[in-house]
Amino acid sequence: MAAIYSLYIINKSGGLIFYKDYGSAGRMDTNDSLRLASLWHSMHAISQQLSPVSGCAGIELLQADTFDLHCFQSLTGNSSPLSTMPWIIRTKFFVVCEPGTVHMEALLKHIYELYTDYVLKNPFYEMEMPIRCELFDINLAQAVQKDRVALLAR
Amino acid sequence: MQFFGGSEISPSPPMPTASGNNGHMMYIFNRNGICLLYREWNRPLKTLSSQQDYKLMFGLLFSLKSLTAKMDPTSVEKGNLGVPQLPGQGCSFHSFRTNTYKLSFMESPSGIKIILVTHPRTGDQRESLKYIYNLYVEYVVKNPLYSPGNPIQCELFNTTVDQYVRGLG
Repeated sequence: MAAIYSLYIINKSGGLIFYKDYGSAGRMDTNDSLRLASLWHSMHAISQQLSPVSGCAGIELLQADTFDLHCFQSLTGNSSPLSTMPWIIRTKFFVVCEPGTVHMEALLKHIYELYTDYVLKNPFYEMEMPIRCELFDINLAQAVQKDRVALLAR
Repeated sequence: MQFFGGSEISPSPPMPTASGNNGHMMYIFNRNGICLLYREWNRPLKTLSSQQDYKLMFGLLFSLKSLTAKMDPTSVEKGNLGVPQLPGQGCSFHSFRTNTYKLSFMESPSGIKIILVTHPRTGDQRESLKYIYNLYVEYVVKNPLYSPGNPIQCELFNTTVDQYVRGLG
C-alpha cells in the first residue's frame, strides 16, 4: 500500500495545475480533480476567515477518517483584491497520505524546491498554467520513491 | 448528574493531558444546520455577525465533508462530488489544524454536529467531543423543558461545558 496517495498543486486562483495519483482506489477523472482543487482553495480561504485570532494562514493538516491531507503554501504570493480577505494568496501544494504518515512537511518543502528549480526556472513555462515539465516529473518521481524507501526502512 | 442510578456520567471524562485555557469556542448544530448552541471563551478576532458566522461554519463543515467523501483514497465507489449523504455515510473528518487554531468535529448518528475550536497544539479531542455529546444527552435531551430543534437555553449544561473545556489540555 502506498504511503502517499496523491499530490495536487493549485495556482493562486484555485485552478489545478498539477495532479499525480500514486495508487488510490477508484480513479478520479480530470473534472473531479479540478472540482476538488477549487473546493479546497475556497475552504482554505474560509478557514482563515473563521479564525478566532488574527494571522491565520489557512489549513495545514486535515485529518479525515481514512487519510491525512497536508497542505503547504509557497513563500511568495499576491495580496488579495478583496478587502474582506486581507491575506496573501499563494500557490498551494498538498498531499493526500495514509493517516499518521510523518515527515510530510519536509517532503512538501522538497517538492516546492523542485517546483522552483524545474518549473519556475523553465523559460517555456507560463505562470499559473498547467505544469508540463519533463524534468519536474522525473525529479518528483525520484523524491516520492526515496520517501517510500525511507518509510520501508523504518 | 444522572437521574437514575449512579451520580457519575458514563463514560467518565477523558483525562486532560495538561491544564490550561485552550478553548476558543464551541458550536452545536442540528442536522438542519441550525445553530443550537454557541459558546465563546477566547475570541479576540470576530469579523462577522453571529448569524453569518454560524452559516459560514456550517458551510465549511458541509463542504469539507463532501470533499473528504470524494477524496477518500480507500474506497472505489464514491459517487459524485456533493452527493447527499446520511450521517455516518462516506469518509468524514475529525479535525483540521491551521497555524492559529485547531478545529475538532464530531457528528452523531442523528446528525448533531459538535465543533470545538482550540489552540493548535492541543492533542486529539475525539474523546472530549464524545464526552460533550454525553453532557448534551444528559443535560439537554433529558431536560423535559427542552423542545428539539430550538436553541439550547440550559444554564446547567453551559456551566458544565465551560468547566470541562477550561480543564482541557
